[in-house]
Amino acid sequence: MLFLLAAGATAWAQQQVNGQVTSAEDQQPVPGATIKVKGATRGALTDAKGQFTIPTQPGDTLQITYIGFVPAEIAVKGQQNLLITLHSDKKALDEVVVTALGIRKEVKRLGYAVQEIKGDDLVKAREPNPINGLVGKVAGFTVGASAEMLASPQVLLRGSSINLYVVDGVPINSDTWNISPDDIESYTVLKGATASALYGSRGLNGAIMITTKRGSKDKRGFSIDFNSSTMFDNGFIAIPEVQDEYGPGDHGRYAFVDGKGGGTNDGDYDIWGPKFEGQLIPQYDSPIDPATGQRKGTPWVARGKDNLKRFIRTGILSTNNLSVSAKTDKADLRFSLSHSFQQGIIPNTHLNITNFNVSAGYNFSPRLRLESYLNYNRQYTDNFPDVNYGPNSLIYNIEIWGGADWNIDDMRNYWQPGKEGVQSIYAEYQRYHNPWFMVKEWLRGHYKTDMNGYMKLTYQLNDHLELLGRTQVSSYDLLRTEKMPYSAHPYGREEGKGDYREDRRSLFENNTDVLLTYHNTFNKLDLRASLGGNARSFKYNSSFVSTNYLNAPGWYSFANSRDPLYANTFRSDMLVLSAYGYVDLTYSKYATLSLTGRYDKLSTLPSGNNLYFYPSASLSTVVSDYVQLPEIISFLKFRGSYANVKGGLTQDTIGTTPQGVYPLGYGTQYYASYGGPTFQNSPGYSVSTVYQNQAGASYTRTITNPSLKPFSSTAYEAGMDIRFLRNRIGLDVTWFTTKNGPRIYELQVTDAAGYDTYLVNGVTTRKNGWEASLTGSPLRSNTGLNWDVMVNWSTFKEKYVDFYPGVNTLNVFFKPGDRVDGFYGTAFVKTPDGQIINDAGDGRPIVNPVKQFLGYTNPDWTWAINNAFRYKQFNFSFQFDGRVGGNMIDYIQQQTFRGGRNIKTVEGAMGDARYQDYKGVKSWTGQGVVISNGAGISYDNNGNVTNYKDMQFAPNSTKTYLQDYISVYYNTNEANLISKTFAKLREVVIGYNLPQSILGRTFIRQANISFVGRNLLYFAKNKDIDIEQYAGDQGTSTLQTPTTRRYGFNVNVTF
Amino acid sequence: MCACNKQFSDDEINSNKPAQVPPSLPLGSILSDMNAIRPWSDVMRWNQFDCCNYNYYGNQRYDWGGAKLDGYGSLENVQQMEQEAIRLGGNTLNPYAALGKFFRAYFFYRMTNLVGDLPMTEALQGKNNLTPKYDDQRTVFIQILAWLEEANSALDSLINNPDKVNTSEGQTLRNDFYYNNKLDYWRRAVNAFHLRVLIALSKKEADTELKIQQQFNAILSNPTKYPLLEGMDQNLQFIYNNINKYPVNPDNLGFDATRYNMSATYLNTLVSLRDPRAFVTAEPATEQLNRLKKTPADITAYVGAPSGENLTDMSSKMSSVDTAVYSLRSRSRYYANYAAEPGIIIGYPEMCFNIAEAINRKWVTGSAEAWYKKGIQASMGFYGIPEAGTFVKTYKNIRYEIPFNFETDYYAQATVKYKGDNTDGLKQIITQKYLAFFENTDWEGYLNWRRTGIPAFSTGSGTGNSGKIPLRFKYPDNHRNANAGNWSATLQKQFGTTTDDINAVMWLIK
Repeated sequence: MLFLLAAGATAWAQQQVNGQVTSAEDQQPVPGATIKVKGATRGALTDAKGQFTIPTQPGDTLQITYIGFVPAEIAVKGQQNLLITLHSDKKALDEVVVTALGIRKEVKRLGYAVQEIKGDDLVKAREPNPINGLVGKVAGFTVGASAEMLASPQVLLRGSSINLYVVDGVPINSDTWNISPDDIESYTVLKGATASALYGSRGLNGAIMITTKRGSKDKRGFSIDFNSSTMFDNGFIAIPEVQDEYGPGDHGRYAFVDGKGGGTNDGDYDIWGPKFEGQLIPQYDSPIDPATGQRKGTPWVARGKDNLKRFIRTGILSTNNLSVSAKTDKADLRFSLSHSFQQGIIPNTHLNITNFNVSAGYNFSPRLRLESYLNYNRQYTDNFPDVNYGPNSLIYNIEIWGGADWNIDDMRNYWQPGKEGVQSIYAEYQRYHNPWFMVKEWLRGHYKTDMNGYMKLTYQLNDHLELLGRTQVSSYDLLRTEKMPYSAHPYGREEGKGDYREDRRSLFENNTDVLLTYHNTFNKLDLRASLGGNARSFKYNSSFVSTNYLNAPGWYSFANSRDPLYANTFRSDMLVLSAYGYVDLTYSKYATLSLTGRYDKLSTLPSGNNLYFYPSASLSTVVSDYVQLPEIISFLKFRGSYANVKGGLTQDTIGTTPQGVYPLGYGTQYYASYGGPTFQNSPGYSVSTVYQNQAGASYTRTITNPSLKPFSSTAYEAGMDIRFLRNRIGLDVTWFTTKNGPRIYELQVTDAAGYDTYLVNGVTTRKNGWEASLTGSPLRSNTGLNWDVMVNWSTFKEKYVDFYPGVNTLNVFFKPGDRVDGFYGTAFVKTPDGQIINDAGDGRPIVNPVKQFLGYTNPDWTWAINNAFRYKQFNFSFQFDGRVGGNMIDYIQQQTFRGGRNIKTVEGAMGDARYQDYKGVKSWTGQGVVISNGAGISYDNNGNVTNYKDMQFAPNSTKTYLQDYISVYYNTNEANLISKTFAKLREVVIGYNLPQSILGRTFIRQANISFVGRNLLYFAKNKDIDIEQYAGDQGTSTLQTPTTRRYGFNVNVTF
Repeated sequence: MCACNKQFSDDEINSNKPAQVPPSLPLGSILSDMNAIRPWSDVMRWNQFDCCNYNYYGNQRYDWGGAKLDGYGSLENVQQMEQEAIRLGGNTLNPYAALGKFFRAYFFYRMTNLVGDLPMTEALQGKNNLTPKYDDQRTVFIQILAWLEEANSALDSLINNPDKVNTSEGQTLRNDFYYNNKLDYWRRAVNAFHLRVLIALSKKEADTELKIQQQFNAILSNPTKYPLLEGMDQNLQFIYNNINKYPVNPDNLGFDATRYNMSATYLNTLVSLRDPRAFVTAEPATEQLNRLKKTPADITAYVGAPSGENLTDMSSKMSSVDTAVYSLRSRSRYYANYAAEPGIIIGYPEMCFNIAEAINRKWVTGSAEAWYKKGIQASMGFYGIPEAGTFVKTYKNIRYEIPFNFETDYYAQATVKYKGDNTDGLKQIITQKYLAFFENTDWEGYLNWRRTGIPAFSTGSGTGNSGKIPLRFKYPDNHRNANAGNWSATLQKQFGTTTDDINAVMWLIK
């Protein structure tokens, strides 16, 4: 019977055979693969889903070739549906990448730069935040990893912030913590507008495309994967060095009476007090003489040496993932459960993230496929730290404004007897807090549920036409709480009567797409074109409610507010309707031209100006495909592109009380991921209470603009990809220039106009830059040692082009042609030959009344070197990366000096002078000169001294207290300017794959164990802060939790 | 598609802010802005009432940069308030419009005093004029005086010929937390302020167009047309409370109590006059008590620091709580609760001294001495000092009863008794006015010194600006940045140079 059917088929002469080509590595379809009948001229190309149709005769052999894959052959024996898997060719160019809209394209044919990172590379040496793991992997892509729990990293591409995360072709709302690395097949970084123009204004600066894992890789039809990492945070790489030789006080004097200023410098003190010499000084725990009621002196010793190091504990990062994937002829499924637990190095701080992920695909027929995906992510913690400068911060309390006169271990029982819940114990009661009291009682909760998912239906109408329909939802609900106990008294809450606050936010976004794609080959011309429409609807609302002191201590409820509650609400809606399309034209082996266009109608812009179009074009040509090059050159490609993006009046993140007054004067305001309207262009009043419960209204400070147009940004890019010695060495170079503007800009106006700013289409900047990626395989062997190297390097500079008609300067100092990241700050007045001029009266430096140019804040260039070694079952890899150049203020240096805690105040000449301070002797002489003839200093409008000719100088000989000198010297920006140059040994992985000789007899299919380390070495001139956290144009550091090394192990098992 | 369009315009609208409000709401923020310069702020240190001895918190260096001319923002709210009043049924003549005239005068007076010439006729027009020309300071003052006239006459009509039919929001003053919506009191404050402005122009007596003397005379001689403040209960003042806390209060005792000490310009003047206000506002210097064994009831135990003293020295002298050289703020008055004293914006004592000064200058006839005494007595009343009897100084919870008789103990002193309508008498008037300005009334302490040199302000190695007290602020950076052409033209015109110099002399004090 079978034979007969087969014979019948043979008799039928020719027959259409359908098939699909997928990649063996990731089960993803391979589009654009060439199918040829061996020995004939008939051929076909696979479509976006890797499918093809070709007329065959029984006995034919199909040859399937595709760049980057080992060619395959398959004999046609009457099958109707051929499933062909291609294995990637390690020696070849391995590149098919995910581009905008989730379309996989050959890198070879792309006219712009993209770089891809395999998800598996990031799940061994883990970071609490998955995006931090991308550091150094892509040229031009910078991550300012924050060490703070739940803080978002700064994610920069070519120096501009990106906030577009696209999962399987659809944008999601992401705070970067709601991404589950174990479920990610690959990350593709789309660089700049050209690559991401199809996503509209959200793709202005680029995008991170995430392709999720699907189906099974296993022949059995299912597989079970278990990945587990346990890592420890221990050993500081950046921590302020502080002195433990002198205690709190002022000019060497201190005596405790009530800790609130009742004694000698016993409240809100600096650490400029007496030296620890065992002398008797009344202290917070000194006994009270019953006869006099006064505290007796007790020995003044450094009992709190290394308080911070003794307070901080080993951090833990434990992540576990279990996934099950399955595949049948018709369906593919994947279930995944991940849990991440982070124990902070600060006691009683922790973070849990649980992630469920389900994806499923079902082929109704070879032409009709349904795919769905759902991700549930829950972040939860009852307490995370807030290190922002102020009395809410442990670093502020221990490292800057706390001395070594109290022992951290004595602070564990923190309630005063008989005042439990009302009054804590500490060495001071005005400004500072007992660290144990803070971490145990002052609690900040974070509870966030993110959900995103999509359903996608694709239907192959005929051989050339495919229709896709897709709807997606991205949403979150957030609750943040703060329980502030009695006797906590940060800025603005000096009554110390406790508070309770709730910050609730909710976001919902839906994207619905329809996309029709046409694909055909005409002679030597391959054409692919799509036309689509997208509707994006967005809703956000939030509320913030706070008590105004509590009646009953320890009861955290709005019903317990002593004074009227503070409450704020916010809501915003947005709708974006888009039509977009693209055309990809490939002419034989010569060139590929891609054109895109997009119309947006955006509800945030004024009616009449809210519909706009923007195009992009790119061209690539692989010269080595059609020109005979010297043998040494195995590949040569040129590419170029142009793109324009428009948009406006939306913002990436949103604060606690948008359009209202944020009532807190301390701590970090949480900025949630947003993407909705700014309402900058809406006139109206700000209303707040001004007198008791009476309100005042203040009219907007911005002149609104009903004829505001969308902003515009235009990018050009050119690049070259050249490979030598059979692809053993590769160099990819990109040059780009982006004309950003006219922006939508709040131009400063004179206050005399009655406003602060005017919202205009103005201010244009141009950014030029270079990126280079060098790859090499110095050693390659099937049996011996393999060594792969990748070097990424990038640089850019951004300058002002023009401002607005009639505006010649921006922010006083900037003119067209100036770099945008110029940093102006307070500076010393100097003699023509560069010596500091000191005040003749007090011997301290004179500070210029006008801010002076001090440097540029952006790094000059960034770099990373990855090395990977493989030897039999072992693998070993490490990465160094860093940034070079750029300046900022080291705020920790500034404050530790001013507060008297910096270690340098007890070393060398400063140490000698400090001892004299303590003895009451002025002994410090600051460097530089004084004006000896009494001439005053005249300045012009830019702070240049105009009357040097009237001055006579003499060396500064006025002795002063070191403390007083430092308070002026280190309060000046110039004294605290540091270079942002640093390098890190980012990552080390040593792995071992258990050989099949062992596993063969077990139910385990694959097993790998790795020993991993992150951030093991830190190189920088100033190690009191971790410079990495300031990746962009920040002009000053903040306080930060000291950063540590992280090391541990990873186990990966497939069943 | 229709539904989409509807939703489109809906989504553009910001529902988080009101686009329109009753005029009483902008009024609230304007009134709040009037109180922007608060007791014990840096402005009060520049008035030399007190000093900061802790360089982390502040200094007396007078390193002035750009002025804060946020009065323009307040005036934008004045314009909005007036429009809202008309929108909500107000007549052309309504209370908001009447007060609007006064607010214009008030904020322009504050601003022009800091810098000199200002955009005025072309100001406050938003995008219709982003580069307003500067008016001469003289023109600004002429306009201020005109606004005050208009305010007075508009209030006159509203009080004496009210539109009893119109009860609309735009015709009814609400939300006035200074005078509880009493227009009569506002009118008195307006006229008292009018006197302040005229006195501020004392160097322009000869200007025939300004007619300072005539205007002063017109006000004083016609109490029906120009009612004035009649006592301390009619002061325009900000009353502090447990929510709007007095800037010095129990919350900040531990921060401030030893870091700010009294200034000699104020306190040593009181002591030299044996003025009991010293007991009320200051603590005795602990060195005087503990080393020199004086009691808190001995006025010579009260010592202020020269504001020009080197901060290192001042801080050394204050570093020991038991032997501090200078007096601190009175703890029992200022740190005991959240409402130590009202912040006077336009006060009765000042008005008395302004009238006394005008008489002294022979602008008007009358008894300068009588007004001088009224002013002193009103100020003493503010501090709870009885005309005759005893008052209590509490120090470290111990009560010291100090007997006092205004006439015999105080006024009888040659230093206090009015020396007649001459320069000595003028010096007495302005000195007493200065003492009554303690920690209140905006910049008036500094402005009166700048105008008359009374009392002598302290300078020294603690004074920045090469040891000089500056005579003005620079214009704010936004003038230079966004209105550069007019900015540099006005500097050239006023000072003969385009350098914006804090030591330049403006028209008002030439």
